[in-house]
Amino acid sequence: MKLFEQLLKKVGPLFEKGRPMEKFYPLYEALDTFLLTPGKVTKRGPHIRDSVDIKRVMIFVVIALVPATLMGIYNTGYQILLAKGLAADFWQCWILGAQKVIPIILVSYMAGGVWEVLFAVTRKHEINEGFLVTGLLYPLTLPPDMPLWQVAVGISFGVVFGKEIFGGTGMNIFNPALAARAFVFFAYPAQMSGSNVWVAVDGFTQATPLAIAKEVAKGQSVVQGLSDAGFNFYNMFVGFIPGSIGETSALACVIGLGFLLITGVASWRTVLGAVLGLLTMAGVFYLMRGPERLAIFALPPHWHLIMGGFAFGAVFMVTDPVSSCYTNQGRWIFGFLVGVVTALIRVVNPAYPEGTMLSILFMNAFAPLIDYFVVEANIKKRLKRA
Amino acid sequence: MADFQIRKGKDIKLKGAARKEIVELAPPQKVAVQPRDFRGLKLQPAVKAGDAVKVGTPLLKDKTHPDIKIVSPVSGKVIAVNRGDKRLLLEIIIESDGQRNAETFRKFNSDELKSVSREDIIKTLLDGGLWPVFRQRPFSKVADPHLSPKSIFVQGMNTEPLALDVDFLLERSEKEFQTGLDIIKKLTGGAVHLCVSAHAKSKALTAAQTVQIHRFSGPHPAGNVSTHIHHIDPVKKGDVVWHIGAQDVLRVAALFLNGIYPSDRVVAVTGEGAERRCYVKTVEGASMSSILEGNLKADMRYISGSVLAGTRVDQQGYLGFYDSQVTVIPEGGKRKLLGWLTPGFDSYSFSKTFVASFLPEKEVGLDTDTNGSERAIVLNHIYDEYVPLDIMTFFLLRAVLAGDIEECEKLGILECDEEDFALCSFACPSKVEVGEIIRRGLDLIEKEG
Repeated sequence: MKLFEQLLKKVGPLFEKGRPMEKFYPLYEALDTFLLTPGKVTKRGPHIRDSVDIKRVMIFVVIALVPATLMGIYNTGYQILLAKGLAADFWQCWILGAQKVIPIILVSYMAGGVWEVLFAVTRKHEINEGFLVTGLLYPLTLPPDMPLWQVAVGISFGVVFGKEIFGGTGMNIFNPALAARAFVFFAYPAQMSGSNVWVAVDGFTQATPLAIAKEVAKGQSVVQGLSDAGFNFYNMFVGFIPGSIGETSALACVIGLGFLLITGVASWRTVLGAVLGLLTMAGVFYLMRGPERLAIFALPPHWHLIMGGFAFGAVFMVTDPVSSCYTNQGRWIFGFLVGVVTALIRVVNPAYPEGTMLSILFMNAFAPLIDYFVVEANIKKRLKRA
Repeated sequence: MADFQIRKGKDIKLKGAARKEIVELAPPQKVAVQPRDFRGLKLQPAVKAGDAVKVGTPLLKDKTHPDIKIVSPVSGKVIAVNRGDKRLLLEIIIESDGQRNAETFRKFNSDELKSVSREDIIKTLLDGGLWPVFRQRPFSKVADPHLSPKSIFVQGMNTEPLALDVDFLLERSEKEFQTGLDIIKKLTGGAVHLCVSAHAKSKALTAAQTVQIHRFSGPHPAGNVSTHIHHIDPVKKGDVVWHIGAQDVLRVAALFLNGIYPSDRVVAVTGEGAERRCYVKTVEGASMSSILEGNLKADMRYISGSVLAGTRVDQQGYLGFYDSQVTVIPEGGKRKLLGWLTPGFDSYSFSKTFVASFLPEKEVGLDTDTNGSERAIVLNHIYDEYVPLDIMTFFLLRAVLAGDIEECEKLGILECDEEDFALCSFACPSKVEVGEIIRRGLDLIEKEG
């Protein structure tokens, strides 16, 4: 401990004002405060401060993502073995999965990190920890077969256009990880959608459950169609199915949600609102089901919760405090509408099997408007009291 | 005449409470009067270094209202009139001669007090130098004697960490307290609201006459003046409300009955770093070294006031005019390895991100470490949990930072004071100085509005 402190103290002066390495102070500061608490004291009242800081808040989100990450790695390897018709050896699953997933995560952190450092150095502010979360969220939304250069381009777009141009952490309108994913989704559709990408084996075709559900013919049972393809509620909940790396296991997302709720890092209102919104809209479609409607109308509402990227989005994306609503009432509305729009896109929009990413980005744009009305209500209440 | 249960806020179980016994201290060798305490006044010195003064001799006069004076709390000699940057008047320091030579002001007997007019009361308070005990909202500045407030609030409770127990202080002073209240009642056409803790027991607080007694329970800031005013008689643009502390009510009575400036003050000496923690009887503006009886250690922070709302003074500092508490806590600044990643069995936090938050709450010792670096506001929703004023704090902050005066007023900034947001600044993981921003907003509105 003392050794670190001495080393850092020795190197520190190189980065001070007027010295040659002055520009790179943010890099020094990032390492310095990564290893040791900053040791600053309060200048004015309140003279005491809470032990929690943003570093800790962000790292807790990363911890909450660990189950989904581990599950993603294992499942990627598992799907590879399944596709090749080989036995699902426990260690082989990990090794194969890691070979695919770890490089994607590393590229995401490195490419995004370069931009973070560049902006920190240019704007002369400390490197913000928000990137620790974005850098892990983004890879988990990608198919395991994603070319690494596309991973890099995507996160670059997300960090620069999703966050930095707005002013950096705390100022963004859209969720940066989702903005990155949206970019690669529209820029490289062949690698981000279709049936070839969800299992990391060249040439192997396997559609995601949502895509299959959408293709079931009118008049047929959608549940039967899924079951014929090998999907039932259980395996879709646990997540041993093809899909984006982190989204397949609703179970892993629920574990992450539990951690985020117990530690108070995520807002339960947003998550519950999203769940209710999805169930409501899917319920409306379910009530409207019939032989003359698309088969997917008859998908039981609670199946929607575990299929596709909704569980992942509802736990980790919708809860981003900066890009969602800032008021408690707003959070309910925001979450609810995310759920509603997700169901709408999934069921009646012919172009996309999955609607979570688009609905969250869409609602990100409306979050300030929702807050505006909540604040107006507070203002009117105050005026009436006069 | 109402009971209020405050739900928002939080009490910090800080170590270092003062024993409830009043010890009379040796009179301080030096006292200081600090113009920064008196918001809203443009004070100019009425004395210079070397002048002899008595208790009650004017030291400072307000440029705009010359009848508002700040007077000397001791008799002796002025040894310094200190100025800082841009000739800003910092303090006037007086060396006490140990005697109590006093200027005399008009005295009243109990019959005269019954019939004294509002104008005479104001004149007596102004002449006697006791006028600044009345502060007004909005803006928390010294009250303007030419305005008439719609109501007056008496702060009969204090929920700041380790604060002086007003109930204990007033245990045997119900007659003087009532006399003070009767005088104050005449200053307004509206009501005098005495706000006390629901646990108050002293006759002074529970059986006061001619005032409306309101009981507040709940965590800090249930004892703040803003909380009381918001729940009982909210302030909007154009309103004027005055407020006065309980100890100062006694001082008002003392001035009118004795005709001498009442400079005695009971102060709670608190905090882990204070050697003798009890209530001390000292003098207004006393030096920290006299209050702490010379036990000044290095690596300690000396605060005139509480850890949340108090002012940092160094070892040569003095008690603030409105403060009835001194807190001494250790300075932070130790660097811990990977501190942000520890499970935190001993880390105090309002959040649930440390193991300690799940263990039963016990008394905690806190230092002045910021426990992190400043960042942009990310967790914008936590502020409102600690503000019982129906204020949307994040939006108010944003309006202040954008300089949008109209929006600030619409969002209720006029009801606020910096001290109401101390818990927000405490809890904020981004280490934002919430109270300071609000203060800036209020200053901006005062200047432009």
